[in-house]
Amino acid sequence: MKNVINIVFVGLVCLLAGARADGQTMLEKRIDSLFVIASSGEVKFQAMVKPAEDSIAALGANAVPHLVEKLETKSPRERLAVINILKKIGSPAVPYLVTALGFNKGLVVERVAWALGDIKDTAATNGLLTVAKHPRWQVREQTIGALGRIGDARGIDAVAEALDDTIMLVRKAATVAAGQLKINSAIPRLVHLLGDSFYGVRMTALAALTEMDSAHTLRSVIDSMGSMNELVGNLGCSLLGKIRTDSARQVLLAQSRAVDPKRRAHAAVALVLADPTDQTNFRASFLAAETDRFTRLKVESAIASVTNGQTAESQ
Amino acid sequence: MKSVQTILMVSFLGCAIMAQDSTLTEKPLAPEQIGMAHLMEYLNLTTDDITYRSDYTEPDSFRLKIVADLMRRPLDMINYTKEIRTRYSAGQPEILAGMLFQDLQGEYQTKRGNAYPPSADDLQAHYDLYYSNLYMNQVLSRAANYINVIIPRSTESALAGLTAKQRAFLRNEFKELLVTHEEEEFLSVEGLDSLEKVEEKYTDTLVTFGARINTDPILAAGISFLREFMPELMTVKAMADSGGQTRERLLNNVGYIPNNVSTEKYLGKQSGWKIGGPGRDIYSGDYTFILDLGGDDIYELSYDPAKPHPVIIIDLGGNDSYTGITDFAIASGCYSVGILLDFAGDDLYRGKSFSVGSGYFGMGLLYDANGDDRYDGDTHVQGAGSYGMGIVIDESGRDIYNAALFAQGFGFIKGAGIIYDGDGADSYYAGGKYKDILRYDEHYLSMSQGFGYGLRPWTSGGLGYLIDLKGNDSYYSDIFAQGASYWWSLGMLYDSAGNDNYQSYQYAQGAATHMTLGILVDEFGHDVYFGKGLMQGVGHDYSCAIMLDRHGNDTYTAYDLSQGAGSANGAGIQIDNEGDDRYFIKNPNNTHGFGDTRRDFGSIGLFIDLSGLDQYTGFGKDNFYWKTESRWGGGMDIELHPKDSVQANKP
Repeated sequence: MKNVINIVFVGLVCLLAGARADGQTMLEKRIDSLFVIASSGEVKFQAMVKPAEDSIAALGANAVPHLVEKLETKSPRERLAVINILKKIGSPAVPYLVTALGFNKGLVVERVAWALGDIKDTAATNGLLTVAKHPRWQVREQTIGALGRIGDARGIDAVAEALDDTIMLVRKAATVAAGQLKINSAIPRLVHLLGDSFYGVRMTALAALTEMDSAHTLRSVIDSMGSMNELVGNLGCSLLGKIRTDSARQVLLAQSRAVDPKRRAHAAVALVLADPTDQTNFRASFLAAETDRFTRLKVESAIASVTNGQTAESQ
Repeated sequence: MKSVQTILMVSFLGCAIMAQDSTLTEKPLAPEQIGMAHLMEYLNLTTDDITYRSDYTEPDSFRLKIVADLMRRPLDMINYTKEIRTRYSAGQPEILAGMLFQDLQGEYQTKRGNAYPPSADDLQAHYDLYYSNLYMNQVLSRAANYINVIIPRSTESALAGLTAKQRAFLRNEFKELLVTHEEEEFLSVEGLDSLEKVEEKYTDTLVTFGARINTDPILAAGISFLREFMPELMTVKAMADSGGQTRERLLNNVGYIPNNVSTEKYLGKQSGWKIGGPGRDIYSGDYTFILDLGGDDIYELSYDPAKPHPVIIIDLGGNDSYTGITDFAIASGCYSVGILLDFAGDDLYRGKSFSVGSGYFGMGLLYDANGDDRYDGDTHVQGAGSYGMGIVIDESGRDIYNAALFAQGFGFIKGAGIIYDGDGADSYYAGGKYKDILRYDEHYLSMSQGFGYGLRPWTSGGLGYLIDLKGNDSYYSDIFAQGASYWWSLGMLYDSAGNDNYQSYQYAQGAATHMTLGILVDEFGHDVYFGKGLMQGVGHDYSCAIMLDRHGNDTYTAYDLSQGAGSANGAGIQIDNEGDDRYFIKNPNNTHGFGDTRRDFGSIGLFIDLSGLDQYTGFGKDNFYWKTESRWGGGMDIELHPKDSVQANKP
């Protein structure tokens, strides 16, 4: 009798396991067939891509493990398709994605961090912090970037620390995240990064500083205008032009009389952009005194641009 | 006091000498270098900002050193084009081949492979002499050494580490990575996905053993053959050119050979060998060696990749017609060396695929010294190299190049392809057969005219160069061409002189997509550049592309994302040094110095015009500096060197 019971029990387990395996296979098959369309790049199939992505996303959290498996792909289109779908699934995807941050494969971890940053759910913060110092720099870049996009204050320390990373793309991610998290304590470091050797860091540091407390930023920038690294002072001029306070204007006026014609141009162009209608009568006096023809042309061009409404605020 | 004076004097002289030395050693900067530094300073950028890390992607074993080096310093591409341009010396194709070979050094390769060094036993002549002329026998004997011993043994050494199955894979599946079928445009989404997966599987297979293949010995054997053979051939050519009895003496034989005696033992009479006279000859089949002294000859050539062997063809004169009956015929090095040297006449080269200067695991070189020639072919033709070198050198004449795909200076994995055209108003056409189904319903892939290509993200690509020195040339293509590349490769188009016409649709005229490099340099002439988008100095996804026109009154037309545009953290640079130019664009929001934002930071787009009275539609303006509404791009139109007012006011 006992044997019979055992046989029946084993049979039942096998049956259940088989059903589960079949169920899993069915789900995976469905995802796979839809995924072929969702990741298709050919122009003639473009109209089918979004419906296919939506159909997979509608499967919700159940689809996530199989999608994470696909993150190992070498195909850029497949990778983007997975990220798009995970983003569409949103918060229900987060618990499994956080688990996946512990996987061994760095490539998968970096892409999972990317997806978590796009989903922007604070439930991912603690998980992301566990990989913020990952030996693979690509993981650090995506993790720090995700912490910034999520905007959870628990990420501040990790982001501030990453401003000193030796890899330029990690520093870039950190400067962007510092701006998103408005980390005022990082202002002096961000001002220093205006002179970074990588433009991605310099420019994003400038953008981050425009998000910070302006009085604190102003003090730090003024202190650094005489930096031996001329990039700091030059970008400092742009920043002061955006701050537009009287103190900022006074510093720019002083810089517009610098010995170096390039610095004069940076300061004068910033003053023109900061005062589009020339309330301070700066332009005529500057142009009358300026002897360097390139500096004159830069300033005349800036004047013409503001007059025609063609200024580039992003710079 | 005197000693103090002496010390001061010595110090002064020392300083003066040092100052003089530094003046002497400092090279003057080219206008474009000054222009780039000047604009970048204005935009708060530095020239060092344009650099790409080798580990942005998983490093692979297929990357070339020159590509890796130039990715670190992409602006050095400009000087590199100059270097390539000066690599040729008339009548010496071995010089260009030798220098191209140097460029195929792997990123971490410290030692290059050599040709098989034959022993004295190897070179024991086993032939009886058929021809009586000493010089003729010298040429034939040299060829026999290479054909019978050095090249085949070099091939064996190159492929020594491979199993029979792997060799078969290279012959069949690997080839499919380069071959496109017209019917692919009709496949369903599942069909295309399945095809993609098959190709991915092939690539995965290649990656498991591809790094073990070192074709250096084959290439070195081909170059060495040319070095030794060309001077001896020139003596025979001089005799043939002198005509009359001198030429006839070349063909004199030592005596009567009875019909029942095999000619296999006689030098120049072996099977696969043919020596043609000054009249019209017809050669049909799979040959190993042909020397033809002149006449309007017809060649109908075939080749079996399963039985690789060298093919050396020399034609000293006449308007000849070369037709490939199979793939891999006509100056095609397929697991071997294929060399065709044609010294005169208006010739026709009509190949199928992998021909007319194709190196596929080998070296294919076509040298045409004279005449108005026509080159036709399908895929991997006219200067195309994959695991090898494909070279076309045409020294003069008004030539026509026509191909479908991967042609006219194309380099694939561990490969380099080049067209070096010396003179004449030439026309180049690539495309029109295989549709670019990924992007368009009615546009065709070209991937030619100075194009490098790798398999993203598995294997880095190669070097594709198109160099044209003189004449008013026309370049026509559709998608991917004219100094462009894809994935860890380098594509270059350099045109030295003439009023040239460049037409393409997309990804062209100095374009680089996905961690790669592209450059178009035009030195002189009033040129016209036309295209739709992603061209004229555009770098996409950690790539850098440069379009540089140094002289002439030029006209540039593009619709969008062109004329100095960086996309997805790439850098695109357009520079025009001199002349009264016209720049036309359709979309002012992503042209004339534009950078878009990707991965939370910007790209670099630089537009530079350094002199002349220029006309614009779009963001640019004559005598102006601007920053576009982008991250981070801008431009300038300045007079780098102000005009001499006395000269300028002359009536």
